[in-house]
Amino acid sequence: MSNILNISLSSVFVPPCFKATAISLRPAVSVVTYLDDHHTWETGSSVTVPAAQHQDNSTRSHKYTPLNFLPYTLYEQFQRFANFYFLLIVVMQCVPAIATIPWYITVFPLLIVLSVRALKDLVSDLGRRRSDKQINSRSCDLLTSGGFQTVQWKDVCVGDVLRIHKDQIIPADLLLLQSTEPHSLCYVETADIDGETNLKFRQALAATHAELTSDPADQSLSSFNGVAFCEEPNGNLYSFRGELRWRGETYRLDTEHILLRGTVLRNTDHAYGVTIYAGADTKIMKNFGKVIVKTTQVERILNRVILGIMLFVLLLDLLLAVGSGVFEHQVSSRLEVLSALGGDASASYRGFLSFWGYVILMSPAIPMSLYISLEVMKVFQCFFINWDLKMYHADSDKPAHARNTSLNEELGQVGHLLSDKTGTLTQNCLIFRQCCIAGDIYGQTGLLSVPNPLDLSWNRFSCGGLQFYDQRLVDRLVKQRCPLGREFFAALALCHTVMTEWKEGAPHYQAASPDEEALVGAARDLGWVFLSRTRDSLTLSELDHTRQYQLLTLIDFTSQRRRMSVLVKEPGGELKLYCKGADIVILERLQKDCPHRESCQRALERDPFSALQLFSQGCLRTLCVAVRSVTEAQWAVWRQVLDQCQTETSQREARLEELHARMERDLTLLGVTAIEDRLQDGVPETISTLRQAGIKVWVLTGDKTETAVNVGYACRLMDPDTSLLQGDELRQLLQSPDPDVKILQKKKSEMWCTDGCLPRDGTTIVINGLELAELIDEPELGARFVTLANRCQSVLCCRVTPGQKAAVVQLVRRHTPSVTLAIGDGANDVNMIKTAHVGVGLYGVEGSQAVQNADFALAQFRFLGRLLLVHGHWSNLRICLFLRYFLYKTTAFAFVNVWYSFFSGFSAQRLYESWFISLYTVMYTSMPVQCLALFEQDVSAEGCMCWPEVYKKGQRLEFFSPRALTTTLLYSLYSSLVLCLLPLGVFQYLTLDFQTLAVTMGTSAVFMTTAEVIEGGPVRSKNDPVLTKMNGTPFRRGTVQRRSSYAVSQGKGFGRLITSGAGLRTAAPQQQTPHPAATDSHTAQHLPGNAQGESAEAL
Amino acid sequence: MKKQTETLNRPDNTAFTQQRLPAWQPMLSAGIVIPGFVVIGLAFIGIGVALFVTSQNIQVLERDYTGVEQNSDNDCSRCLNRTNCVCAVQFNLAKQLEGPVFFYYGLSNYFQNHRKYGVSRDDYQLSGDTYYFENPEDDCIPYQYDSRNRPIVPCGSKANSLFNDTFRLYRLVGGQKKQVPFDGKGIAWWTDYNLKYRNPTLVDGSLAKAFNGTVKPVNWPKPVYELDTSDSSNNGFLNQDFLVWMRRAALPGFRKLYRRISEGEYADGLPTGNYSLEINYNYPVHGFDGRKKVFFSNVSWMGGKNQFLGIAYLVVGSLCIVMSLVMLIVYAKYRFPDEDS
Repeated sequence: MSNILNISLSSVFVPPCFKATAISLRPAVSVVTYLDDHHTWETGSSVTVPAAQHQDNSTRSHKYTPLNFLPYTLYEQFQRFANFYFLLIVVMQCVPAIATIPWYITVFPLLIVLSVRALKDLVSDLGRRRSDKQINSRSCDLLTSGGFQTVQWKDVCVGDVLRIHKDQIIPADLLLLQSTEPHSLCYVETADIDGETNLKFRQALAATHAELTSDPADQSLSSFNGVAFCEEPNGNLYSFRGELRWRGETYRLDTEHILLRGTVLRNTDHAYGVTIYAGADTKIMKNFGKVIVKTTQVERILNRVILGIMLFVLLLDLLLAVGSGVFEHQVSSRLEVLSALGGDASASYRGFLSFWGYVILMSPAIPMSLYISLEVMKVFQCFFINWDLKMYHADSDKPAHARNTSLNEELGQVGHLLSDKTGTLTQNCLIFRQCCIAGDIYGQTGLLSVPNPLDLSWNRFSCGGLQFYDQRLVDRLVKQRCPLGREFFAALALCHTVMTEWKEGAPHYQAASPDEEALVGAARDLGWVFLSRTRDSLTLSELDHTRQYQLLTLIDFTSQRRRMSVLVKEPGGELKLYCKGADIVILERLQKDCPHRESCQRALERDPFSALQLFSQGCLRTLCVAVRSVTEAQWAVWRQVLDQCQTETSQREARLEELHARMERDLTLLGVTAIEDRLQDGVPETISTLRQAGIKVWVLTGDKTETAVNVGYACRLMDPDTSLLQGDELRQLLQSPDPDVKILQKKKSEMWCTDGCLPRDGTTIVINGLELAELIDEPELGARFVTLANRCQSVLCCRVTPGQKAAVVQLVRRHTPSVTLAIGDGANDVNMIKTAHVGVGLYGVEGSQAVQNADFALAQFRFLGRLLLVHGHWSNLRICLFLRYFLYKTTAFAFVNVWYSFFSGFSAQRLYESWFISLYTVMYTSMPVQCLALFEQDVSAEGCMCWPEVYKKGQRLEFFSPRALTTTLLYSLYSSLVLCLLPLGVFQYLTLDFQTLAVTMGTSAVFMTTAEVIEGGPVRSKNDPVLTKMNGTPFRRGTVQRRSSYAVSQGKGFGRLITSGAGLRTAAPQQQTPHPAATDSHTAQHLPGNAQGESAEAL
Repeated sequence: MKKQTETLNRPDNTAFTQQRLPAWQPMLSAGIVIPGFVVIGLAFIGIGVALFVTSQNIQVLERDYTGVEQNSDNDCSRCLNRTNCVCAVQFNLAKQLEGPVFFYYGLSNYFQNHRKYGVSRDDYQLSGDTYYFENPEDDCIPYQYDSRNRPIVPCGSKANSLFNDTFRLYRLVGGQKKQVPFDGKGIAWWTDYNLKYRNPTLVDGSLAKAFNGTVKPVNWPKPVYELDTSDSSNNGFLNQDFLVWMRRAALPGFRKLYRRISEGEYADGLPTGNYSLEINYNYPVHGFDGRKKVFFSNVSWMGGKNQFLGIAYLVVGSLCIVMSLVMLIVYAKYRFPDEDS
């Protein structure tokens, strides 16, 4: 085996795996070296990264091992201030001279607190360990000297060659070497990375394809000894720089050659690749971010308050110690029974001792068991969330699930909601809903009940599932009464870049854009079945007549052009140019006397009766379909230009553009399609409720701008008359010296609105990933952006990477004090979910990554309303009441000792029985407040949903404001004074002894604090939630064309593939194909086919 | 069948899990709060009046016998700086003191509730554990061992400072002194006498031998086993006066029960007439400005005389009434128009 490595390049580098167990099994096939900055690329001098920096491929999200658990958990817990304080107290209590309370009185509750907490951490860590193990033990095929062997994911190392099966999840970032498809193409689904369900293609280098393709592949792959230079591991999913040096040649590598971990191989039998990044170095893992321990705002305030209480108590201790010194000096010295007790110590020394005595005595003022009670309370509240039937999704049998039990109150304080789009707001399921052919509108929208499906039994290709209900159209089509309709559907079946795959005798469509898939699918169900395509032909079955169209040219969709066209030669010999695209683009290219132009044209002039108007009111995405008859002569001219363009390179783009403009002209409108980007159930209602509750909704999506804006309108993120602020306008605003002033001048009427009502003419910021990158880099610009965004109704971020999603969350967190909530369903949302104060995961179709990393898991987006407005509000209220009450009861309890000191000679005499101190918080006063924290409802669940304004109270943190806290603490001081002086007043005249007093005091303390619970809850007043029932504003549409477009995938569509012919098998060389299925006229031409005989199919 | 498996995770539909438990939430409108305050105020005033009147009806006779001031009714000032001195307090009862009469002594400016004083004792000794007779606990320092390093029993400052004035009451009838019998039984807590304090097991039938090897507290004139030689059930740690003293007072000014007067002709109380209280004046309080007092008092259902409680109830009750009036005025002036219905 010739795997001698280029020593000069890799002398320092030894892949770690070769030192591991499986040494003998694996040939050293290749070396991967990371280059650390750009300069090395230019100079060619490489820097090899030490071997230790290469990761193995295991995931590790747990943090404890049996060995480090105890020290680690203790370390973590004693970082908590109260715990550490009590540890000190316990130490001090071991000194007899100052032990005003016996040590076991403090140790007992402290141990309970520590062990409950440790147990809780342990259980959650075990859960993480289990899920890690599950991922790490997934299997994959690894090339060894004995051929491919199945190993676990965690055993894969950088440099290993892997074989990936169809539908297998790719275990690490691979450099694609070859695949079983022609030209070593392969298709991946990146749903788990960017949330897009459509397929993307990846292609191996021509060199590796040519050299390594053999059968079986083991042999040739074993001899592969290239050296890959890759950039440092990073989280950028859409870019990659690298080089492959092999056999003296250097090849450029980019994203097209890379298979990312977490993507799924589709439509390709096998792909072979060499691992370049593994484990934590992989791009998706780099995007996951670190495990962040989330602490809530209330908790942070609480820590400060407790610190404040402690300082105050220490000050009191000091004053009392001074009192003690004075007493010892003035009184004790004369009272023999007392003076003898101190021995020879001076009064000041006695005062010093009594200071520490007071520190111990007053330690119950620091609520030690507060944290643990709080955690117990939160766990119970989480149970309520889990138990809520109104957040249970019967279809998927999934109840809501609170995974992180420490964030409940933040649910009631959310100020910014950052949502993913695909899979979260939308179902990522596009439905052909309506169409307008020759001025007639077919299909209905907004149906309350599902009507009977169309009778499509005459169509053998129909596979059901069409949600288009209009028998008129079918009748007209079948009875051939509607020639324009026939052409309309022929156009839909021809003008696209969809690929077919034959399964069980029916075509399955693979499209770069889900819109196209929906359109071609609709055409299929209505009788125009797209059967297969080759490089230069398309086969259709038109109402059961199979016809073959010759594909002359295909002009692909781009976001600038917003249209695509095909020029086909009909079987009859006629040339037709079919074009579909955004309405505004098509309408300006229509013939002057186009018959149906009027009905569409009116739409642009805001006529409510036109088809476009109607469709957009129904929040449907429209496309115009047009046709043009082309003469042979014209085609000849065009063809000449096209041929020239093939060879010419200098002005190719410009000339092509000019040609395309000439071709797509004088069109005749065939009709308009209306597609519904189906929202999840209840999304618009939920978003509108949340907005009423004062929550800013930001949508972050990897999808393109047009789609995102469209969905934004559909889900009431924007109102119909909302204007968009984007691009240069936004940039100018941000870069102007004072964006606040400028935006106020500019949009005064829109920006200012009285509190509580929705801004009628709001503004929505639309920003894309590139622009965002700038904002994130420049802190000042970012701050301005957030300020601006807070004045706007909502924000749409398009084409953002998972890392950027997290950065946006970070941006909001940094520049606003409000609580952020991120919601998403895919792996691409994980980082964002982890970064936000509260992360919510939806049980998606695409795996459970989001849920696993989320704090709360829901089955549907619509449950978010209830989670926030009902559970969030209640939890917030309950926890804040609980905390305030807890502070009250502990301080009121402890301060009694201060007052009593004036009667006991400042001797740090405790006023309670010792065990009473220990049990007071743990037992005597715990139940009532826990009931309060469990059951308190200031507004009923229905009320919370009905008046979202109630939520704003929690957002402003009114239940835990400094004022509320001060009141609580002052009140506790007052209570303790009363609690001390009343019994003392009574005892003054009686013969009762100290013990009786202690018991009386303790009992009254319990009675008082219990009575306070009953009084403590906020009182509902009749006119608290203002009864402002929002009526839906009458629907008005401003700019119709916003909805008209369609989305293509992240990179490019399949257009280039089709026109270049790569990956398509031509119909001609069939004779060498031995596979019997290939003789079938339908299956022979499918893409991506099975692995048989690809070497013979030279294209 | 299928439906069942489909809804495995469906949460229970109970009032508890769905947070629909019945609840009562008072709407604190003016119509409830103002009458509420009036009712509470009236109730408190009622209780206050009852307490106050009862307390007023309790008869208390109080005499200071410290001897700091020259008083015509006693000659204790001569005992101020002497020990083993006997003095007497003369008093006249113009009205019969209804029985049963309790006789207390009281000390003031005396910090029995001082922390160090409170812990200066050995509970094991006092429960009769002879191991601690030889090794008193460190809490007792400096009354743990005497100067010759012999253990003190009972040790500690608390026992050492036992109140040792004794009293005898005489009724003066026609120039004759007639002793009023005191009942000293059951003046200590039942739990102290029966559970907490135990004498050590007798050695050869003698309590004194059980204390062999120990010395009496420094300030005591006689050892603990000679506190009441006449009555073995009142001797040693079980001596009632000792028990009463060992139960610390809550405040620097306190009184403790000394005797009951409930026997013979005095069962109904002390009749009118002249009395002389003879005091063995031993306990020094002059050094710390303390005062010694005696009290003759009877009790009611609410205990001893205590005007504070009655007054406190009256004050709170009156405050409630005042508050309700204020609220009524506020309500009348600023009420919400929609609350009229």
